[in-house]
Amino acid sequence: MKIKAKIKKDVIDVKAMAKHDMMTYDIAEKKTGDRNNANFITHIDAKIGDKTVLDASTSQFLSKNPIFKFKIKANGFKKGDEIVMSWVDLKGNTKTSKTKIK
Amino acid sequence: MQRRTFLSLAVGACALAAVPASVRAEDFRKSKPTAWTAKTPEDAIKAIYGKTETVAEGVTVVAPDVASNGGAVPVDVKSDIDAKTVMILQNVNPESAVIIYDLNEYSIIDFSIKMKMKKSGTITAIVEGKDGKLYSGSKTLDVALGGCEG
Repeated sequence: MKIKAKIKKDVIDVKAMAKHDMMTYDIAEKKTGDRNNANFITHIDAKIGDKTVLDASTSQFLSKNPIFKFKIKANGFKKGDEIVMSWVDLKGNTKTSKTKIK
Repeated sequence: MQRRTFLSLAVGACALAAVPASVRAEDFRKSKPTAWTAKTPEDAIKAIYGKTETVAEGVTVVAPDVASNGGAVPVDVKSDIDAKTVMILQNVNPESAVIIYDLNEYSIIDFSIKMKMKKSGTITAIVEGKDGKLYSGSKTLDVALGGCEG
């Protein structure tokens, strides 16, 4: 997962791109003949230290290699702090990535 | 052989049981499973929030008037409302719910995603206010090339 986090005054701008096929049930059926082959990210979160700054439950309808852009209040966070993002998909695979806030 | 293993994992259906402890807060996929199979926005909103009355103000949904690629429609949702959750839905895909954000003390409602739209239709965003009201905004758009096919 590519993550970019930039702090400007009291807002942190985050842009993350996960690498995932986000295969819908319909596409799974069409391409593999089996709806059970569908797999897509179902939950993603972001933490700075022990604080959760993003928490989203997601569906098959996000685009392939989904992007997540969000803004958070900097409240005490600063340049150099690490933001850690994790996603989980329908089949239970997970991925965690991190980057330092610039 | 790989495919058989793959299938047997899927048959369990409760793949969500493997979620690690670090992914927490309200995982709406677990707590409100019917929201994700609801076909219409009304049903999905009812499944998550228990009601469908909304106030059509305070929520801005930005998306192109004509999306050239239905597989990746850029959508921004903004609001200044003091809120608990934000939900994005549409009314043209097999199911309506797209994403639900569970907000926290650091949240600013200014989210951008790229989503699939099977054909022309309406994208709706619901902001669940801390006052208990559901606020909504929407954007109707044309989709040039349908997108559930990726």
